[in-house]
Amino acid sequence: MNKEIINIVDQIILKHGKTVNQVIPILQAIQNEFNFLPEEALEYVCKNTKISAARIYGVSTFYSQFRHKPVGKHIIKICVGTACHVKGAMQVYNAYLRELNIVDENENTDPNGLFTVEKVACLGCCTIAPVVQIDNITYGHLTTDNVSDTLIDFQSAKNNPKQTYDGIGTETENLQGEIRLGLGSCCVASGSSLVKDELEGIIANSKINVNVKQVGCVGICNQVPMLEIHKPGKSPIFYTKIKAEEVSGVIRKHFKPVNLLNRLKSDFFNYFEGIVFNEIPKSTSRYESDRRDTPVSEFLNAQINIATEYRGAIKPTDLEEYKDLGGFSAFKKCVTQLSPKEIIATIKSSGLKGRGGAGFLTGLKWELVEKEISDKKYVICNGDEGDPGAFMDRMLLESYPFRVIEGMLIAAYSVGASEGLFYIRAEYPLAVRRINEALLLCKAEGLIGERIFNSDFSFNLEMFEGAGAFVCGEETALIASVEGNRGMPKVRPPFPAHQGLWRKPTLVNNTETYSLISWIVRNGADAFSNIGSENSKGTKVFALAGKINRGGLIEVPMGISVKTIVEEIGGGIPNGKKFKAVQIGGPSGGCIPASLANISIDFESLNEAGAMMGSGGLIVLDEDDCMVDIAKYFISFTQNQSCGKCTFCRIGTTRMLDILTKISSGNGKLADLDLLERLAKSTKKGSLCGLGRTAPNPVLSSLTHFREEYEAHIDGKCPTGKCTEMITYTITNDCNGCTKCAQKCPSDAIETRPYYLHEIDTEKCIKCDICKQVCPIDAVITI
Amino acid sequence: MIKLTIDGIKISVAEGTTVHTAAKQLGVEIPTMCYLEGAGFHNHPACMVCLVKDKSSGKLLPSCALPAVNNMNITTRDEEVMNARKEALELLMSDHVGDCDAPCRLGCPAYMNIPLMNRLIAKGNFQKAISIVKEEIALPHILGYICPAPCEKVCRRNEIDYSVQICQLKKFVAATDLQNNRIYFPKKDPASAKKVAVIGSGPAGLASAFYLLRDGHSCTIYDKNEMAGGSLRYQQMDKPLPPEVLDAEIEYLKSYGVDFKLNSYINQNVVNAFRKNGFDAIILATGANTVSNLLIDALDLSENGMNVNPDTFETSVVGVFACGSAVRTLKMAVRSVAQGKAAAHSVTTFLNGNTPEKGKRIFNSKFGKLAEEEFDEYLKEAPNRRNLTEKYTGLKSYTIENAKAEADQCMHCDCRKMNNCLLRIHSDTYQIDRRNFLLGKRNNVSKFFKQDMIVYEPEKCIKCSLCVEISARKKEEIGFTHIGRGFDVKIKAPFGKSIDEALTSTAIECANACPTGAISLIE
Repeated sequence: MNKEIINIVDQIILKHGKTVNQVIPILQAIQNEFNFLPEEALEYVCKNTKISAARIYGVSTFYSQFRHKPVGKHIIKICVGTACHVKGAMQVYNAYLRELNIVDENENTDPNGLFTVEKVACLGCCTIAPVVQIDNITYGHLTTDNVSDTLIDFQSAKNNPKQTYDGIGTETENLQGEIRLGLGSCCVASGSSLVKDELEGIIANSKINVNVKQVGCVGICNQVPMLEIHKPGKSPIFYTKIKAEEVSGVIRKHFKPVNLLNRLKSDFFNYFEGIVFNEIPKSTSRYESDRRDTPVSEFLNAQINIATEYRGAIKPTDLEEYKDLGGFSAFKKCVTQLSPKEIIATIKSSGLKGRGGAGFLTGLKWELVEKEISDKKYVICNGDEGDPGAFMDRMLLESYPFRVIEGMLIAAYSVGASEGLFYIRAEYPLAVRRINEALLLCKAEGLIGERIFNSDFSFNLEMFEGAGAFVCGEETALIASVEGNRGMPKVRPPFPAHQGLWRKPTLVNNTETYSLISWIVRNGADAFSNIGSENSKGTKVFALAGKINRGGLIEVPMGISVKTIVEEIGGGIPNGKKFKAVQIGGPSGGCIPASLANISIDFESLNEAGAMMGSGGLIVLDEDDCMVDIAKYFISFTQNQSCGKCTFCRIGTTRMLDILTKISSGNGKLADLDLLERLAKSTKKGSLCGLGRTAPNPVLSSLTHFREEYEAHIDGKCPTGKCTEMITYTITNDCNGCTKCAQKCPSDAIETRPYYLHEIDTEKCIKCDICKQVCPIDAVITI
Repeated sequence: MIKLTIDGIKISVAEGTTVHTAAKQLGVEIPTMCYLEGAGFHNHPACMVCLVKDKSSGKLLPSCALPAVNNMNITTRDEEVMNARKEALELLMSDHVGDCDAPCRLGCPAYMNIPLMNRLIAKGNFQKAISIVKEEIALPHILGYICPAPCEKVCRRNEIDYSVQICQLKKFVAATDLQNNRIYFPKKDPASAKKVAVIGSGPAGLASAFYLLRDGHSCTIYDKNEMAGGSLRYQQMDKPLPPEVLDAEIEYLKSYGVDFKLNSYINQNVVNAFRKNGFDAIILATGANTVSNLLIDALDLSENGMNVNPDTFETSVVGVFACGSAVRTLKMAVRSVAQGKAAAHSVTTFLNGNTPEKGKRIFNSKFGKLAEEEFDEYLKEAPNRRNLTEKYTGLKSYTIENAKAEADQCMHCDCRKMNNCLLRIHSDTYQIDRRNFLLGKRNNVSKFFKQDMIVYEPEKCIKCSLCVEISARKKEEIGFTHIGRGFDVKIKAPFGKSIDEALTSTAIECANACPTGAISLIE
């Protein structure tokens, strides 16, 4: 056996131990070393730990994070989340395969062994969709056309690596102001680290005394990178989609070296404040957009910030700042002044319902755990946000780690737990890093540990990284995963509150739920229950994306209408298209058609309409989106993510997908709709866990609201032209013979004929859509 | 104690009892496949065939893993529950690539257990082989000469090289038996003291007489001709039937106890006449074109033949049955033989005081033709591919060695668990439509062997996980595990190990626990 492998694996075992529940961390460590799981490494683990061959193989083939084959030097992860899907992710995926000469999709590495192409469920960067991650560089707004550019850019970026940001020392006296720059995942993906580098350089080389602050997600994720200029006594100014080379101009406009006369400064600033949105030159960064004039205020005004309190204003891992703003005061009050029962009573009377999707009363859940008598109890933060099209948890964990921790600490004190876990999906490396940093700071500060605040309350909190399985968002599957098993759900009862992790009473709450707790304790139950609708209290964080002008993360009062979100906060549909529907709740939710746009967003109304709150993905669809395609998209997601345990989910979702594939390829019959509906209903009823029980929702809701679209497919027509098997590409007489399409066509289906009408050879056409995208006069159409 | 209500009946059970077990205590059987009673496996419901309804929430829950809780109110068999179970079975069946009965047996009008016969021949157990043949076919020697052998046309070996020579093998078994010192006579049921008259001694009449005797009745065959045999003797056959072959099998029937009354014309008072003579039932097996001669009182006739209930062969007169070409002209003698058998079973039911019913054929899973890449998998059960020139012409009889070698070509297309497969049994009970969800491409079948012990056919697996649990609990070093997830999950040995290495001490236990034919014992 390979000595090097043995040495590495020995060290990994030494670090993680030999117990069965360490199987996932050990596998992750091995993959970190080798980029895949070498078989001999796994066999060595089996021989030298208590982990059996059956377990290591069963677990490593369950989670999609793990690879059993060597991969290319670099990994291209193509996000196929909902927002990316509606913006053409599959065409982008196919373009990468073509570009890299990968013929067999299963053999997903290029012949030179340089790149491996993988689809990923969701990178959580929905607002800049479609998104691709090459190693640690993220590219947004992909088209089939700029796929090759990303490969070139990646190669050059690789040759000029940038340092990671570690803050700028500033004099605290004579501060001229503060510059804030968001460093959430979307921001970084959109180039904010380049902006930051530039900013650092300029400030270091000038005599400007200004505080540059790295803040969490600013929410307006499709307008980033966003630079905020804060000056004493002035309203802040926002620069959206700023590019590195534009930074110096902006700085010079706002700040003069301290020792210069600043007689004209205020006039200057007034002048700039008025024109700032129009003044920045048109951005030509990694993605294009002609929308620089976004009224940020409109986006922010209809929102209420509780989970996202101090959004864009605090540095994620600055414990002192968090404390200065009242952080951990709620926790301290709980431990030193309140009894667990009093806290639970407050949470109950606030009306808070779990934000993970099902909407169970949080206070009641706490009470159930609190009542259990046991030598040990656990609290778990469910951060396994796997819904394609949702990134609320990622952003909360990245931007407000202390707030989530504080919520968990209060919960732990209330239910009598002594140990806790963050379960965060591995696709969120930044969230994992920030939480780990925050945990270290809290432990150093004594907020986590023995006899906290000199009370009897002791609590330890650790991190567990998920390994890529949507079903692990289901609490019993999550627990199975922590125990070192395949993420297979169990029947409830017994509920985790009664028998959870290691068969001990366990409280599992969603990230967002925890992040609301400290606010409720500080401001009182009434303050929270005064917000929202009759049965759904408080606020809800949504990830707004899709066909919308202003996408991003929003926190709105429950009961707000779909219309308000789409039109006011989101600024309507781009390109003058018609609003068709919103998909809410991801693969467990459904579609709300435009005709029902006045519906109030709360747990009850959404359920009535056949949708579901889910965890909060909100994807806006326009007239170009095909509802059969959307239903098929979600079913193929759940089908792929099913754990495979129970018959209805394992085979039922597969058969639903088969029927939808049949319909979307033009081979459907009217009887298939009845069969589909029947199967959807029985899968909803008969599945074991929430995944299967909600998986049919996208199908059922689209059948309810858009049945005529299904019928059109059965009549042989996809009204929106999305179902590629039912359309052909053709060029109209408007063609001016510019030859762009012919140059770009990857399959030689268009002959180059300058100044003549071009034609598409439908035999050769692979429907990659590139001709349609590059045609400057929209002469390429689908019929 | 936990108090709950199941189907409206209150019951107290010990804490920790599942609803499935509680129902059982009430005598309510809930079907299940993935649950192994007494194994103590904790909560791994997979098949979802044991669904029951929790009336308070309206939810369907798997009873095998559902702990009984105070004040629970459970319904085990309303329409929704039954439909859900049925649909679960239909879904499982849509992903179950396997045959219960082999295609040859289903292709045989008499439903003879051909694969079993073949295996017994291959082992040289001719005595047992003839008993299997006679279960379904009363005249195997005769049919060995004249049967067009529809079984061979659907034999899977046709796709690979050519069919197993089933008909010849059957003939050989029958001939061997008749030459034996101890000819095989099936054990008769206790005497019923009932008398049955069979009119006509063609293939249908002879066959019915054989099974009537076996069922414990006494039987007299009447025939207008001076020699028995009917169409077998007096009609031109497509293939020649030597008279001595016919005579030998008629002699056999005589020895078994059939009373032949030849040269007996019957008249229109036949029913009354027989009743007067103490016959309790009559089977009319008078052959084709006999209707005009049979102006039997009150008998419902049509242009072509007698009108009978096609499921039970009852005529319009109580106690009178009709079969064979008398009802509708049959081209294949094997069909007449099959009908004679079925009519005899109806008569027995009638004589027992019950209403005859359609002979029920249990549910069958089928998967159609073998794909080329599956040939080798099936050939694992047979020695090799044959040279086409070796094909047996059928003119001369086999030697014993020839017969054994030929029977050995049979690939065991039938399922080893055909009699105790829970998927088959429940599918039959719930009368599922196996085609309902037959969408998408089927997977290729494969077979893995642990020498002389078990065979694993992954495409029959329903992912119940029992073998995974058993091999883990009994600390198999390799064991079976789940590979992958979702629809593509496979149950296999880790690290690409063979089944031989994977299942050692637990092999037989796994085969016995497997609810389908996925893991089965090699007989």
